[in-house]
Amino acid sequence: MIQASCPGCGSSITFKFGPSVVLVCEFCRSVVARGDRNPEDLGKVAYLVKTDSLLSIGLHGRYQDQPFELTGRVQFRHEAGGVWNEWYATFPNDRWGCLAEAQGRFYFTFQCRVADPEALESFATLTLGALIFTLSTSAPLTVAEKGIAHTISAEGEIPYRFVPGVEHHYANLSGPHDEFATLDYSEDPPLAFVGREANFAELGFPHAETSSTISQVEAQQLSCPTCGSALSLRAPDYTERVTCPSCGSLLDINQGKLKFLRVLDQKVTPMIPLGSVGRFDRHPPLTVIGFLQRSVEFDSIRYFWEEYLLHAPLMGFRWLVRKNDHWTFARPLPPGKVTTVSQEALYEKKKFKLYQGDTAQIEHILGEFYWRIEIGEMVVTTDYIAPPLMLSHEVATSAQKTEGKSNWSLGEYLTPPKVEKAFNLRNLPRPWRFAPHQPYPHAKVYEYWLQLSLIALCVGFFLFFFGAQRQVVQQTYQLEPIKAGEESVVRFSEPFTLQARQNVEITVTASLDNTWLDIVGDLISQQTDEAQGFSLTLGDYRSVERSEFFWTEGRRSSSVYLSAPEAGIYILGLDINWHNQHSQSTLFTLTVRQGVPRLWHLVLTILALSVVPLFVALRHYYFERQRWSNSIYNPYDSKD
Amino acid sequence: MVRKFYLITGGAILLLYSWVGFTGKEFGNPERQKIPADARLSPGGYRSFHTWHSGSREGK
Repeated sequence: MIQASCPGCGSSITFKFGPSVVLVCEFCRSVVARGDRNPEDLGKVAYLVKTDSLLSIGLHGRYQDQPFELTGRVQFRHEAGGVWNEWYATFPNDRWGCLAEAQGRFYFTFQCRVADPEALESFATLTLGALIFTLSTSAPLTVAEKGIAHTISAEGEIPYRFVPGVEHHYANLSGPHDEFATLDYSEDPPLAFVGREANFAELGFPHAETSSTISQVEAQQLSCPTCGSALSLRAPDYTERVTCPSCGSLLDINQGKLKFLRVLDQKVTPMIPLGSVGRFDRHPPLTVIGFLQRSVEFDSIRYFWEEYLLHAPLMGFRWLVRKNDHWTFARPLPPGKVTTVSQEALYEKKKFKLYQGDTAQIEHILGEFYWRIEIGEMVVTTDYIAPPLMLSHEVATSAQKTEGKSNWSLGEYLTPPKVEKAFNLRNLPRPWRFAPHQPYPHAKVYEYWLQLSLIALCVGFFLFFFGAQRQVVQQTYQLEPIKAGEESVVRFSEPFTLQARQNVEITVTASLDNTWLDIVGDLISQQTDEAQGFSLTLGDYRSVERSEFFWTEGRRSSSVYLSAPEAGIYILGLDINWHNQHSQSTLFTLTVRQGVPRLWHLVLTILALSVVPLFVALRHYYFERQRWSNSIYNPYDSKD
Repeated sequence: MVRKFYLITGGAILLLYSWVGFTGKEFGNPERQKIPADARLSPGGYRSFHTWHSGSREGK
C-alpha cells in the first residue's frame, strides 16, 4: 500500500494493490501514475458513462477457485458507438486479470506471453476470420472482430499505464470451446490476453450484492428534440440510435443526449409492437426494443423480411426474424465456435449446409438499437441450414475482411403458434412457402415407425422364444395301391389333445420321386363334431435335360396352419390321392404341432407399419426439393 | 395430424399382431362345419362328406 498526494488536487490517494500502475483520483478524476519518486499526472478522465453493469469496484468474486477483487475499470467506446467496461480483477500474489463486459456478456482474460510474437500478423494485415495459432490455446482462435476503440473514462486502480483519450487498436479472437482472446496493438509486438467467455454465475459474485443492482435497471424517459414527444429507452445503457415513434426522427444518443439525424419513412408497422414482452423456453422475459426491415435483391426482385431486436438485462440481445411468415429465434454465437469448410459449417459437431449468400440492406427501422444503425446499411449474409436450425454469418460490406466484426448467429425455427404463445398474440399470418430451415413436419413418423417396429420385434421375439410351441402328434402312413373303382384312401388319425389359444400346424412330409400326393382333410372335434377343413399337396419332379441342365420342381413337405381350436380331443380325417394310386404304394409322415410362431405375421406387421412412413418419406423428398429450390446450392439441381 | 393418424393405426396394427400371436388366430381358414357322426367313423361316410362339402378334386 502506497500513500501519496494527487498531483491534480492534492487529495490523499492510496495505491492499495501491488499490480496497480495508475489510479484515478476520485475527487478530481486525474489519472495518477505511480512514479519512482513522485506521482505523475497523466491527465483527467471524463465521468463514467452510466451502464447497467451489475459490477462495481470492491466487489469480491471467485473465478476458477481463485478469489479476486475488482479494483479498477476502464470504459471504451466502440467504433459502432457502444460502450463497454473492462474491469481489472486482482487475485492473490498480485496476479491480475481483465474482465470485459459487453452487452451482458463477460470475458475473463489474463495477459500471456506470446511464444513467437513475430508470427503474429500486424493490425493492418490481420483479416477477419483468420486463424491464429501462436497463442497457447488448445485450438486455433478465429479473428472475430478488429477495430479501434477510444478510452473514455476510468475509475479505481489500473494495472497498466492508462492514458486518457488514447486510441486502442485491438482484435478479438474466439475459439471453439468458449476461448476468448484480445490482441492489444497499442504495443509492438502486440500484447495478448487469453481466457474465455464466462457466464455471470461462474464469476462467483455474492448474489445479494448484485441482485440489488439488477432491480435498478429500468427504462429511461427522454424527450424527442424534434417534436418534444416522450421517448422511452428500454435498454438505455446500450442504445446508440433510437427512432421517435411520434415524428419518425432517427436520433443518435451520446451519453444520454439525443441528436437529430433525419426523418425516416415509417410505412412499416411491426407485427409485434415495440415494448411487447416475449416469454420463450429457457430464457428470461425478452422485451422487443427494436424493429427493422431488410431486403435482398435477386433477379431484379426485392425480397423483404423483418427482424425484431429483443433484450433482457442479464442476457443481452436476441433476434426474432419473420420471413414469409416463418419465424426464427436467433442468438449470437462466438465466431470461433463455427468452422466453415467448403459448402458446410460445423457448430458443436453438427453439420450445416450452405443454403444462400447475399447482400442485405436495411430498409426501415423503428425503436432502439445498440449500434449506429443507418437506413441503407448493407451486410453480406451467408446462411447455413440444419433444420430446424440455421447458422447465419453477417459482415458489414464496408468492413469485409479488413476491419469490423464477423457476426455469427444460431437461429431456431419457430411456428407462428409458438410466437403467438410467447407474446400472447392472436392470428399471426400462416406461412405458405417453405422456409430454408423449416423442419419437415411429419419427420416424427420415422421415429414412431422405429419404435412400433421395435415393439413388434419384441413381441415376435417373445412368441418365438417363449411361446408354447409343442409337438402334439406324429404319425407315419404306409398306403398300399387302392382297388380299382375307388377314388381315394381315407384314414383317421389317433385321437390327440389340443389346447386353446394356440394355433395348429399340420405338416405332411413324403419321400416322393417324380410323383405327387394330395390330401384333403379335417381337424375334427370329438366333443362337438365340428370339422375344420384343410388341404395339402406335395409333388416332387426332377430331370436332366440334354445331359446338362438339372431341374427340380415342387416340394416334399407342406404345412397348413389352422386357427386355435377350443381345448379338447381331436382326430384328423384324411382323404388321400397320389400318383398311380392304383398300382403304387405311398408313404408319408404327418405331424401336428401347436403354438407355432409365424414369421410371416411379423413380416406382414412390419410391412403394414411401413406403409404410412413410405408415403411420408415420398412427401419428405418433395418437401426437400421445394426447400432447396430457392437455393443456388440446390443439391437436386441436375445442372450442377 | 399425420403423426396422430400413424400412432393410432400403427398401434392398432401392433395390437392386431399381438392378438393374433397370443390367441393363435390364423387367417384364410375355411369355415368350420358340423360333421355327422357316421362320417367320422367310416371311410365311406367321410368320403361322401367330402364329396358333398368340398366337391370333386383333381390331383396333379
